[in-house]
Amino acid sequence: MQRDTTDPGTSSGRDADIGASIVARGMTKIYGSGADAHHALGPIDLDIKPGEFVSLIGPSGCGKSTTMLLVSGLEPVSGGSVEVDGKPLTAPITEVGIVFQDHLLLEFRTAMKNVMLQQEIRGLDKAVLEDRARMLFERLDLVGAENRYPWQLSGGMRQRVSIARALVHDPSMLLMDEPFGALDAITRTQIRHDLEMLWLDTSKTVLFITHSIEEAVGLSDRVLVMSKGPGRIVEEIAIDLPRPRPAHLGEYPDFAKYANRIYDIFQKLGIYKFT
Amino acid sequence: MSASGESAARPAIALTGEQLARLVYPVVAVAAFLGLWEVLVRIMDVPLWLLPKPSDFLSRMVVDHALLLEQAWSTAVSIVLGFALAVAVAVPLALAIVSIGTFERGLYPVIVFLNIMPKTVIGPILIVWFGVNQLVIVLIVFLMCFFPILVDSMAGFRATDPRLYYITRSMGANTWQAFRHVRLPAAMTFVFAGMKIGIVKAVEGVIIAEFIGSSAGLGFLIMRASSFMDQTLMFSGLIATALVAMVFNGAMLATEHWLMPWARGRGH
Repeated sequence: MQRDTTDPGTSSGRDADIGASIVARGMTKIYGSGADAHHALGPIDLDIKPGEFVSLIGPSGCGKSTTMLLVSGLEPVSGGSVEVDGKPLTAPITEVGIVFQDHLLLEFRTAMKNVMLQQEIRGLDKAVLEDRARMLFERLDLVGAENRYPWQLSGGMRQRVSIARALVHDPSMLLMDEPFGALDAITRTQIRHDLEMLWLDTSKTVLFITHSIEEAVGLSDRVLVMSKGPGRIVEEIAIDLPRPRPAHLGEYPDFAKYANRIYDIFQKLGIYKFT
Repeated sequence: MSASGESAARPAIALTGEQLARLVYPVVAVAAFLGLWEVLVRIMDVPLWLLPKPSDFLSRMVVDHALLLEQAWSTAVSIVLGFALAVAVAVPLALAIVSIGTFERGLYPVIVFLNIMPKTVIGPILIVWFGVNQLVIVLIVFLMCFFPILVDSMAGFRATDPRLYYITRSMGANTWQAFRHVRLPAAMTFVFAGMKIGIVKAVEGVIIAEFIGSSAGLGFLIMRASSFMDQTLMFSGLIATALVAMVFNGAMLATEHWLMPWARGRGH
Protein backbone atom coordinates (compact mmCIF):
# COMPACT_ATOMS: atom_id res chain seq x y z
CA MET A 1 0.00 0.00 0.00
CA GLN A 2 1.35 3.36 -1.06
CA ARG A 3 0.42 6.18 1.23
CA ASP A 4 1.93 9.54 2.06
CA THR A 5 2.31 10.71 5.61
CA THR A 6 -0.51 13.24 5.48
CA ASP A 7 -3.12 10.59 4.79
CA PRO A 8 -6.31 11.92 6.41
CA GLY A 9 -7.37 8.38 7.15
CA THR A 10 -4.65 7.38 9.56
CA SER A 11 -4.91 8.37 13.16
CA SER A 12 -1.55 10.14 13.39
CA GLY A 13 -0.38 10.79 9.87
CA ARG A 14 2.68 8.58 10.43
CA ASP A 15 3.35 5.78 7.99
CA ALA A 16 1.49 2.95 9.64
CA ASP A 17 2.91 0.37 7.25
CA ILE A 18 5.76 0.14 9.69
CA GLY A 19 4.63 -1.16 13.03
CA ALA A 20 5.54 0.41 16.35
CA SER A 21 8.39 -0.75 18.53
CA ILE A 22 7.75 -1.49 22.20
CA VAL A 23 10.57 -1.34 24.72
CA ALA A 24 9.98 -1.91 28.43
CA ARG A 25 12.58 -1.88 31.18
CA GLY A 26 11.86 -3.15 34.68
CA MET A 27 8.12 -2.77 34.01
CA THR A 28 6.16 -3.53 37.19
CA LYS A 29 2.50 -3.33 38.15
CA ILE A 30 1.16 -3.33 41.67
CA TYR A 31 -2.60 -2.97 42.08
CA GLY A 32 -3.89 -1.33 45.26
CA SER A 33 -1.72 -0.21 48.14
CA GLY A 34 -0.81 -1.08 51.72
CA ALA A 35 -2.02 -4.45 52.95
CA ASP A 36 -4.29 -4.89 49.92
CA ALA A 37 -1.46 -4.38 47.44
CA HIS A 38 -1.27 -7.05 44.80
CA HIS A 39 2.00 -7.43 42.93
CA ALA A 40 0.60 -8.45 39.53
CA LEU A 41 3.57 -8.12 37.24
CA GLY A 42 7.28 -7.75 36.89
CA PRO A 43 9.74 -6.44 36.80
CA ILE A 44 9.86 -7.52 33.16
CA ASP A 45 11.74 -6.30 30.10
CA LEU A 46 10.27 -6.27 26.59
CA ASP A 47 11.94 -5.62 23.25
CA ILE A 48 9.34 -5.86 20.51
CA LYS A 49 10.55 -4.88 17.06
CA PRO A 50 8.42 -2.94 14.58
CA GLY A 51 6.11 -5.28 12.72
CA GLU A 52 6.82 -8.24 14.97
CA PHE A 53 4.10 -10.73 15.96
CA VAL A 54 4.67 -11.59 19.61
CA SER A 55 2.54 -13.87 21.75
CA LEU A 56 2.31 -13.94 25.51
CA ILE A 57 1.35 -17.34 26.85
CA GLY A 58 0.98 -18.46 30.43
CA PRO A 59 -1.49 -19.50 33.12
CA SER A 60 -4.36 -17.29 34.26
CA GLY A 61 -3.22 -14.49 36.52
CA CYS A 62 0.34 -14.32 35.16
CA GLY A 63 -0.04 -10.69 34.11
CA LYS A 64 -0.57 -11.13 30.38
CA SER A 65 -3.51 -8.74 30.24
CA THR A 66 -1.75 -6.34 32.59
CA THR A 67 1.24 -6.28 30.23
CA MET A 68 -1.09 -5.32 27.40
CA LEU A 69 -2.70 -2.50 29.40
CA LEU A 70 0.71 -1.16 30.43
CA VAL A 71 2.26 -1.04 26.96
CA SER A 72 -0.82 0.77 25.63
CA GLY A 73 -0.69 3.31 28.44
CA LEU A 74 -4.24 2.40 29.49
CA GLU A 75 -2.91 1.61 32.97
CA PRO A 76 0.10 3.40 34.46
CA VAL A 77 3.19 1.38 35.37
CA SER A 78 4.04 1.11 39.07
CA GLY A 79 7.73 0.91 38.30
CA GLY A 80 10.13 0.87 35.36
CA SER A 81 9.49 2.40 31.97
CA VAL A 82 7.75 1.76 28.65
CA GLU A 83 8.64 3.36 25.35
CA VAL A 84 6.59 3.04 22.19
CA ASP A 85 8.47 4.09 19.06
CA GLY A 86 11.15 5.53 21.32
CA LYS A 87 8.75 7.84 23.17
CA PRO A 88 8.05 7.27 26.87
CA LEU A 89 4.36 6.66 27.58
CA THR A 90 2.56 9.34 29.53
CA ALA A 91 -1.01 8.86 28.31
CA PRO A 92 -2.96 6.11 26.51
CA ILE A 93 -1.61 5.70 23.00
CA THR A 94 -4.13 6.08 20.19
CA GLU A 95 -1.99 4.47 17.47
CA VAL A 96 -3.45 1.16 18.51
CA GLY A 97 -6.30 -1.26 17.97
CA ILE A 98 -7.54 -3.49 20.78
CA VAL A 99 -9.48 -6.76 20.67
CA PHE A 100 -10.66 -8.55 23.80
CA GLN A 101 -11.99 -12.06 24.33
CA ASP A 102 -15.51 -10.63 24.33
CA HIS A 103 -16.37 -8.78 21.16
CA LEU A 104 -17.48 -5.69 23.14
CA LEU A 105 -19.48 -4.42 20.19
CA LEU A 106 -22.17 -1.82 20.79
CA GLU A 107 -25.53 -3.60 20.54
CA PHE A 108 -27.23 -0.46 19.21
CA ARG A 109 -24.94 -0.10 16.21
CA THR A 110 -24.78 -2.20 13.09
CA ALA A 111 -21.56 -4.04 12.28
CA MET A 112 -20.43 -1.26 9.95
CA LYS A 113 -21.39 1.50 12.39
CA ASN A 114 -19.51 -0.32 15.15
CA VAL A 115 -16.39 -0.24 13.02
CA MET A 116 -17.00 3.39 12.03
CA LEU A 117 -17.03 4.42 15.71
CA GLN A 118 -13.28 4.79 15.19
CA GLN A 119 -13.91 7.35 12.48
CA GLU A 120 -16.51 9.27 14.49
CA ILE A 121 -14.48 9.56 17.67
CA ARG A 122 -11.16 10.23 15.95
CA GLY A 123 -12.74 12.66 13.51
CA LEU A 124 -11.10 10.96 10.53
CA ASP A 125 -12.13 11.26 6.89
CA LYS A 126 -15.39 9.33 6.49
CA ALA A 127 -14.98 8.26 2.86
CA VAL A 128 -11.42 6.98 3.40
CA LEU A 129 -12.39 5.04 6.52
CA GLU A 130 -15.49 3.60 4.89
CA ASP A 131 -13.36 2.30 2.02
CA ARG A 132 -10.98 0.73 4.47
CA ALA A 133 -13.84 -0.77 6.48
CA ARG A 134 -15.27 -2.34 3.31
CA MET A 135 -11.84 -3.75 2.45
CA LEU A 136 -11.59 -5.24 5.95
CA PHE A 137 -15.12 -6.68 5.73
CA GLU A 138 -14.06 -8.38 2.52
CA ARG A 139 -10.81 -9.70 3.97
CA LEU A 140 -12.55 -10.90 7.12
CA ASP A 141 -15.38 -12.64 5.27
CA LEU A 142 -17.99 -10.22 6.61
CA VAL A 143 -19.56 -9.12 3.34
CA GLY A 144 -23.33 -9.00 3.85
CA ALA A 145 -23.04 -8.37 7.58
CA GLU A 146 -22.58 -4.59 7.27
CA ASN A 147 -26.10 -3.60 8.30
CA ARG A 148 -26.71 -6.31 10.84
CA TYR A 149 -26.79 -5.72 14.54
CA PRO A 150 -24.46 -7.75 16.77
CA TRP A 151 -27.29 -9.98 18.03
CA GLN A 152 -27.92 -11.03 14.43
CA LEU A 153 -24.33 -12.29 13.99
CA SER A 154 -22.63 -15.50 15.07
CA GLY A 155 -19.91 -15.43 17.72
CA GLY A 156 -17.20 -15.78 15.11
CA MET A 157 -18.59 -12.95 13.00
CA ARG A 158 -18.89 -10.67 16.01
CA GLN A 159 -15.23 -11.25 16.77
CA ARG A 160 -14.34 -10.54 13.14
CA VAL A 161 -16.22 -7.23 13.36
CA SER A 162 -14.28 -6.50 16.54
CA ILE A 163 -11.03 -7.12 14.64
CA ALA A 164 -12.18 -4.82 11.82
CA ARG A 165 -12.89 -2.12 14.40
CA ALA A 166 -9.37 -2.49 15.76
CA LEU A 167 -7.80 -2.14 12.30
CA VAL A 168 -9.94 0.32 10.37
CA HIS A 169 -7.91 3.38 11.42
CA ASP A 170 -4.71 1.62 10.32
CA PRO A 171 -2.91 1.65 13.69
CA SER A 172 0.74 0.70 14.03
CA MET A 173 0.01 -1.71 16.86
CA LEU A 174 -2.62 -4.38 17.44
CA LEU A 175 -3.25 -5.65 20.95
CA MET A 176 -5.27 -8.83 21.29
CA ASP A 177 -6.29 -10.31 24.62
CA GLU A 178 -7.34 -13.92 24.02
CA PRO A 179 -9.33 -12.82 20.98
CA PHE A 180 -10.32 -16.33 19.91
CA GLY A 181 -10.79 -17.75 23.41
CA ALA A 182 -14.57 -17.88 23.21
CA LEU A 183 -14.77 -19.39 19.72
CA ASP A 184 -15.11 -23.01 18.66
CA ALA A 185 -12.04 -24.83 17.35
CA ILE A 186 -13.02 -24.75 13.68
CA THR A 187 -13.82 -21.02 13.68
CA ARG A 188 -10.63 -20.40 15.63
CA THR A 189 -8.41 -22.08 13.04
CA GLN A 190 -9.96 -20.09 10.18
CA ILE A 191 -9.87 -16.75 11.96
CA ARG A 192 -6.23 -17.41 12.93
CA HIS A 193 -5.39 -17.77 9.25
CA ASP A 194 -7.39 -14.68 8.27
CA LEU A 195 -5.59 -12.64 10.91
CA GLU A 196 -2.20 -13.93 9.73
CA MET A 197 -2.98 -12.98 6.12
CA LEU A 198 -4.05 -9.48 7.16
CA TRP A 199 -0.94 -9.06 9.28
CA LEU A 200 1.35 -10.25 6.46
CA ASP A 201 -0.02 -7.49 4.24
CA THR A 202 0.35 -4.66 6.74
CA SER A 203 3.19 -5.67 9.09
CA LYS A 204 1.69 -4.06 12.16
CA THR A 205 3.22 -4.90 15.50
CA VAL A 206 0.98 -7.44 17.22
CA LEU A 207 0.94 -8.35 20.87
CA PHE A 208 -1.21 -11.46 21.14
CA ILE A 209 -2.30 -12.95 24.44
CA THR A 210 -3.41 -16.55 24.47
CA HIS A 211 -3.80 -19.71 26.50
CA SER A 212 -3.44 -21.84 23.39
CA ILE A 213 -0.04 -23.26 22.48
CA GLU A 214 -1.30 -23.96 18.98
CA GLU A 215 -2.34 -20.32 18.49
CA ALA A 216 0.90 -18.97 19.94
CA VAL A 217 3.11 -21.14 17.74
CA GLY A 218 0.77 -20.91 14.77
CA LEU A 219 0.81 -17.11 14.64
CA SER A 220 3.95 -15.73 16.25
CA ASP A 221 7.44 -14.70 15.33
CA ARG A 222 8.26 -14.99 19.00
CA VAL A 223 6.49 -16.53 21.99
CA LEU A 224 7.07 -15.19 25.50
CA VAL A 225 6.18 -17.77 28.13
CA MET A 226 5.05 -16.26 31.41
CA SER A 227 4.63 -17.56 34.95
CA LYS A 228 2.73 -16.05 37.82
CA GLY A 229 3.18 -14.80 41.36
CA PRO A 230 4.23 -12.10 40.33
CA GLY A 231 4.00 -12.29 36.54
CA ARG A 232 7.35 -12.81 34.82
CA ILE A 233 8.69 -13.85 31.45
CA VAL A 234 10.41 -17.18 31.96
CA GLU A 235 11.34 -18.07 28.42
CA GLU A 236 11.47 -16.57 24.98
CA ILE A 237 11.03 -18.84 21.97
CA ALA A 238 11.63 -17.61 18.41
CA ILE A 239 9.28 -19.46 16.04
CA ASP A 240 11.05 -20.07 12.77
CA LEU A 241 8.28 -21.53 10.61
CA PRO A 242 7.41 -20.48 7.04
CA ARG A 243 4.35 -18.27 6.45
CA PRO A 244 1.51 -18.37 5.81
CA ARG A 245 1.16 -21.26 8.19
CA PRO A 246 -1.25 -24.11 7.38
CA ALA A 247 -4.49 -25.05 9.13
CA HIS A 248 -2.92 -28.25 10.36
CA LEU A 249 0.30 -27.13 11.99
CA GLY A 250 1.37 -30.76 12.40
CA GLU A 251 2.52 -30.55 8.78
CA TYR A 252 5.60 -28.88 10.17
CA PRO A 253 7.85 -31.27 12.10
CA ASP A 254 9.21 -28.23 13.94
CA PHE A 255 5.73 -27.35 15.24
CA ALA A 256 5.86 -30.30 17.62
CA LYS A 257 9.31 -29.26 18.74
CA TYR A 258 8.11 -25.73 19.67
CA ALA A 259 4.89 -26.97 21.24
CA ASN A 260 6.80 -29.54 23.30
CA ARG A 261 9.14 -26.86 24.57
CA ILE A 262 6.22 -24.86 25.90
CA TYR A 263 4.60 -27.96 27.43
CA ASP A 264 7.94 -28.75 29.11
CA ILE A 265 8.15 -25.26 30.58
CA PHE A 266 4.59 -25.51 31.89
CA GLN A 267 5.41 -28.90 33.41
CA LYS A 268 8.60 -27.59 34.97
CA LEU A 269 6.76 -24.59 36.44
CA GLY A 270 4.10 -26.85 37.90
CA ILE A 271 1.39 -25.35 35.69
CA TYR A 272 0.80 -28.82 34.30
CA LYS A 273 0.97 -31.64 36.83
CA PHE A 274 0.98 -34.67 34.55
CA THR A 275 2.64 -37.72 36.03
CA MET B 1 -33.09 -12.85 6.44
CA SER B 2 -31.62 -10.54 3.86
CA ALA B 3 -28.32 -8.90 4.57
CA SER B 4 -29.52 -5.35 4.02
CA GLY B 5 -31.47 -4.86 7.25
CA GLU B 6 -34.58 -6.99 7.26
CA SER B 7 -36.71 -4.63 9.34
CA ALA B 8 -35.79 -1.57 7.29
CA ALA B 9 -36.79 -3.29 4.06
CA ARG B 10 -40.31 -4.01 5.28
CA PRO B 11 -42.92 -1.26 4.78
CA ALA B 12 -44.09 0.08 8.11
CA ILE B 13 -47.79 0.43 7.31
CA ALA B 14 -48.68 -2.73 5.40
CA LEU B 15 -49.98 -5.50 7.63
CA THR B 16 -48.88 -9.07 7.16
CA GLY B 17 -51.40 -11.86 7.62
CA GLU B 18 -49.94 -12.64 11.00
CA GLN B 19 -50.24 -9.04 12.18
CA LEU B 20 -53.82 -8.87 10.92
CA ALA B 21 -54.64 -12.01 12.87
CA ARG B 22 -53.09 -10.48 15.97
CA LEU B 23 -55.46 -7.54 15.55
CA VAL B 24 -58.59 -9.49 14.66
CA TYR B 25 -58.55 -12.06 17.48
CA PRO B 26 -58.71 -9.63 20.42
CA VAL B 27 -61.37 -7.50 18.69
CA VAL B 28 -63.54 -10.58 18.14
CA ALA B 29 -62.95 -11.70 21.75
CA VAL B 30 -63.96 -8.30 23.19
CA ALA B 31 -67.05 -8.13 20.95
CA ALA B 32 -68.09 -11.61 22.05
CA PHE B 33 -67.59 -10.71 25.70
CA LEU B 34 -69.69 -7.53 25.39
CA GLY B 35 -72.37 -9.39 23.43
CA LEU B 36 -72.65 -12.06 26.11
CA TRP B 37 -72.81 -9.37 28.80
CA GLU B 38 -75.59 -7.56 26.91
CA VAL B 39 -77.63 -10.74 26.43
CA LEU B 40 -77.25 -11.96 30.02
CA VAL B 41 -78.18 -8.60 31.55
CA ARG B 42 -81.28 -8.43 29.30
CA ILE B 43 -82.37 -12.00 30.04
CA MET B 44 -81.87 -11.70 33.79
CA ASP B 45 -83.30 -8.18 33.79
CA VAL B 46 -80.55 -6.71 35.99
CA PRO B 47 -81.47 -3.17 37.09
CA LEU B 48 -79.45 -0.30 35.64
CA TRP B 49 -78.19 0.97 39.01
CA LEU B 50 -76.60 -2.45 39.66
CA LEU B 51 -75.02 -3.33 36.33
CA PRO B 52 -75.55 -1.40 33.10
CA LYS B 53 -75.56 -3.10 29.71
CA PRO B 54 -72.76 -2.41 27.26
CA SER B 55 -75.32 -0.66 25.04
CA ASP B 56 -76.09 1.67 27.97
CA PHE B 57 -72.57 2.85 28.69
CA LEU B 58 -71.40 2.78 25.08
CA SER B 59 -74.27 5.03 24.02
CA ARG B 60 -73.63 7.18 27.11
CA MET B 61 -70.05 7.57 25.90
CA VAL B 62 -71.38 8.92 22.62
CA VAL B 63 -73.86 11.26 24.28
CA ASP B 64 -71.42 12.55 26.89
CA HIS B 65 -68.34 12.44 24.69
CA ALA B 66 -67.56 16.12 25.29
CA LEU B 67 -67.53 15.65 29.08
CA LEU B 68 -65.46 12.44 28.86
CA LEU B 69 -62.95 13.98 26.46
CA GLU B 70 -62.54 17.02 28.69
CA GLN B 71 -61.87 14.87 31.77
CA ALA B 72 -59.69 12.43 29.83
CA TRP B 73 -57.67 15.37 28.56
CA SER B 74 -57.12 16.61 32.13
CA THR B 75 -56.03 13.11 33.20
CA ALA B 76 -53.72 12.80 30.20
CA VAL B 77 -52.08 16.15 30.94
CA SER B 78 -51.44 15.04 34.55
CA ILE B 79 -49.87 11.80 33.31
CA VAL B 80 -47.67 13.56 30.76
CA LEU B 81 -46.47 16.19 33.25
CA GLY B 82 -45.87 13.75 36.11
CA PHE B 83 -44.19 11.20 33.87
CA ALA B 84 -42.00 13.77 32.10
CA LEU B 85 -40.95 15.21 35.45
CA ALA B 86 -40.09 11.69 36.68
CA VAL B 87 -37.94 10.97 33.62
CA ALA B 88 -36.27 14.37 33.82
CA VAL B 89 -35.32 13.82 37.47
CA ALA B 90 -34.78 10.04 37.61
CA VAL B 91 -32.41 9.61 34.64
CA PRO B 92 -29.85 12.28 35.63
CA LEU B 93 -30.18 11.27 39.29
CA ALA B 94 -29.50 7.63 38.34
CA LEU B 95 -26.32 8.75 36.57
CA ALA B 96 -25.28 10.80 39.61
CA ILE B 97 -25.94 7.94 42.05
CA VAL B 98 -24.00 5.49 39.88
CA SER B 99 -21.11 7.91 39.35
CA ILE B 100 -20.73 9.49 42.79
CA GLY B 101 -20.10 7.19 45.74
CA THR B 102 -21.46 9.66 48.31
CA PHE B 103 -24.81 9.75 46.51
CA GLU B 104 -24.95 5.98 46.36
CA ARG B 105 -24.38 5.63 50.11
CA GLY B 106 -26.29 8.69 51.29
CA LEU B 107 -29.16 9.29 48.94
CA TYR B 108 -30.12 5.88 47.68
CA PRO B 109 -31.32 4.42 51.03
CA VAL B 110 -33.56 7.48 51.47
CA ILE B 111 -35.07 6.94 48.02
CA VAL B 112 -35.61 3.24 48.75
CA PHE B 113 -37.42 4.19 51.97
CA LEU B 114 -39.61 6.70 50.14
CA ASN B 115 -40.47 4.03 47.61
CA ILE B 116 -41.59 1.52 50.24
CA MET B 117 -44.06 4.08 51.57
CA PRO B 118 -47.42 3.92 49.70
CA LYS B 119 -47.38 7.03 47.50
CA THR B 120 -51.09 7.82 47.88
CA VAL B 121 -50.53 8.37 51.62
CA ILE B 122 -48.72 11.56 50.64
CA GLY B 123 -51.86 12.75 48.83
CA PRO B 124 -53.67 14.28 51.85
CA ILE B 125 -50.43 16.00 52.92
CA LEU B 126 -49.95 17.44 49.45
CA ILE B 127 -53.55 18.70 49.49
CA VAL B 128 -52.85 20.60 52.71
CA TRP B 129 -49.78 22.13 51.11
CA PHE B 130 -51.06 22.89 47.64
CA GLY B 131 -54.87 22.69 47.85
CA VAL B 132 -57.06 20.58 45.60
CA ASN B 133 -55.52 21.15 42.21
CA GLN B 134 -53.71 19.49 39.39
CA LEU B 135 -50.27 20.04 40.92
CA VAL B 136 -51.10 17.43 43.59
CA ILE B 137 -52.12 14.93 40.90
CA VAL B 138 -48.95 15.59 38.91
CA LEU B 139 -46.78 15.11 42.00
CA ILE B 140 -48.42 11.78 42.87
CA VAL B 141 -47.98 10.57 39.29
CA PHE B 142 -44.35 11.67 39.56
CA LEU B 143 -43.84 9.68 42.76
CA MET B 144 -45.54 6.59 41.30
CA CYS B 145 -43.36 6.29 38.21
CA PHE B 146 -40.15 7.84 39.51
CA PHE B 147 -38.72 4.78 41.25
CA PRO B 148 -38.93 2.15 38.49
CA ILE B 149 -37.32 4.61 36.08
CA LEU B 150 -34.58 5.41 38.59
CA VAL B 151 -33.74 1.78 39.36
CA ASP B 152 -33.64 0.66 35.73
CA SER B 153 -31.66 3.72 34.66
CA MET B 154 -29.09 2.96 37.35
CA ALA B 155 -28.76 -0.57 36.00
CA GLY B 156 -28.40 0.93 32.53
CA PHE B 157 -25.60 3.29 33.46
CA ARG B 158 -23.80 0.37 35.07
CA ALA B 159 -24.34 -1.92 32.08
CA THR B 160 -21.33 -0.95 29.99
CA ASP B 161 -18.40 -3.35 30.25
CA PRO B 162 -15.50 -1.31 31.72
CA ARG B 163 -13.16 -2.77 29.08
CA LEU B 164 -15.18 -0.89 26.48
CA TYR B 165 -13.81 2.30 28.04
CA TYR B 166 -10.30 0.98 27.38
CA ILE B 167 -11.29 0.77 23.74
CA THR B 168 -12.79 4.28 23.63
CA ARG B 169 -9.75 5.70 25.41
CA SER B 170 -7.50 4.03 22.85
CA MET B 171 -9.57 5.92 20.27
CA GLY B 172 -8.67 9.13 22.08
CA ALA B 173 -12.23 9.65 23.28
CA ASN B 174 -12.77 12.02 26.19
CA THR B 175 -15.28 11.33 28.96
CA TRP B 176 -18.06 13.19 27.15
CA GLN B 177 -17.51 11.27 23.89
CA ALA B 178 -17.45 7.94 25.72
CA PHE B 179 -20.68 8.95 27.44
CA ARG B 180 -22.43 10.14 24.30
CA HIS B 181 -21.34 7.33 22.00
CA VAL B 182 -21.27 4.40 24.39
CA ARG B 183 -22.65 4.79 27.88
CA LEU B 184 -25.82 6.77 27.22
CA PRO B 185 -27.11 4.75 24.25
CA ALA B 186 -26.17 1.52 26.06
CA ALA B 187 -28.32 2.67 29.00
CA MET B 188 -31.30 3.41 26.75
CA THR B 189 -32.62 -0.15 26.70
CA PHE B 190 -32.74 -0.10 30.49
CA VAL B 191 -34.20 3.40 30.74
CA PHE B 192 -36.99 2.33 28.41
CA ALA B 193 -37.70 -0.80 30.42
CA GLY B 194 -38.12 1.47 33.46
CA MET B 195 -40.28 3.91 31.52
CA LYS B 196 -42.59 1.11 30.38
CA ILE B 197 -43.19 0.09 34.00
CA GLY B 198 -43.38 3.77 34.93
CA ILE B 199 -46.17 4.60 32.49
CA VAL B 200 -48.30 1.73 33.81
CA LYS B 201 -47.74 3.02 37.36
CA ALA B 202 -48.54 6.56 36.21
CA VAL B 203 -51.93 5.60 34.77
CA GLU B 204 -52.72 3.61 37.91
CA GLY B 205 -51.56 6.45 40.14
CA VAL B 206 -53.35 9.25 38.36
CA ILE B 207 -56.82 7.77 38.87
CA ILE B 208 -56.22 7.09 42.56
CA ALA B 209 -54.84 10.60 42.96
CA GLU B 210 -57.92 12.02 41.27
CA PHE B 211 -60.12 9.98 43.62
CA ILE B 212 -58.43 11.61 46.63
CA GLY B 213 -58.09 15.19 45.69
CA SER B 214 -59.09 16.66 42.40
CA SER B 215 -61.77 18.69 40.73
CA ALA B 216 -61.04 17.33 37.28
CA GLY B 217 -60.00 14.18 35.48
CA LEU B 218 -61.51 10.75 34.87
CA GLY B 219 -60.89 9.69 38.49
CA PHE B 220 -62.88 12.71 39.67
CA LEU B 221 -65.62 11.96 37.14
CA ILE B 222 -65.93 8.34 38.31
CA MET B 223 -65.98 9.43 41.97
CA ARG B 224 -68.70 12.00 41.26
CA ALA B 225 -70.74 9.49 39.25
CA SER B 226 -70.41 7.09 42.16
CA SER B 227 -71.88 9.61 44.61
CA PHE B 228 -74.87 10.04 42.26
CA MET B 229 -75.16 6.24 41.82
CA ASP B 230 -74.74 6.89 38.10
CA GLN B 231 -73.46 3.43 37.12
CA THR B 232 -73.61 4.09 33.40
CA LEU B 233 -71.32 7.09 33.69
CA MET B 234 -68.95 5.14 35.96
CA PHE B 235 -68.62 2.42 33.37
CA SER B 236 -68.13 5.03 30.67
CA GLY B 237 -65.34 6.53 32.78
CA LEU B 238 -63.82 3.09 33.26
CA ILE B 239 -63.71 2.46 29.54
CA ALA B 240 -62.29 5.93 28.93
CA THR B 241 -59.57 5.27 31.52
CA ALA B 242 -58.67 2.01 29.82
CA LEU B 243 -58.47 3.83 26.49
CA VAL B 244 -56.17 6.48 27.98
CA ALA B 245 -53.95 3.71 29.37
CA MET B 246 -53.86 2.02 25.97
CA VAL B 247 -52.89 5.25 24.23
CA PHE B 248 -49.99 5.82 26.64
CA ASN B 249 -48.72 2.25 26.46
CA GLY B 250 -48.95 2.36 22.68
CA ALA B 251 -47.09 5.67 22.57
CA MET B 252 -44.31 4.18 24.71
CA LEU B 253 -43.93 1.16 22.45
CA ALA B 254 -43.95 3.35 19.34
CA THR B 255 -41.30 5.65 20.81
CA GLU B 256 -39.16 2.67 21.73
CA HIS B 257 -39.54 1.22 18.24
CA TRP B 258 -38.54 4.55 16.76
CA LEU B 259 -35.63 5.39 19.09
CA MET B 260 -34.17 1.90 19.38
CA PRO B 261 -34.27 0.36 15.93
CA TRP B 262 -31.63 -2.19 16.94
CA ALA B 263 -34.01 -3.96 19.27
CA ARG B 264 -36.64 -4.54 16.55
CA GLY B 265 -37.34 -8.17 15.91
CA ARG B 266 -35.23 -9.24 18.85
CA GLY B 267 -36.97 -11.64 21.21
CA HIS B 268 -37.60 -10.42 24.72
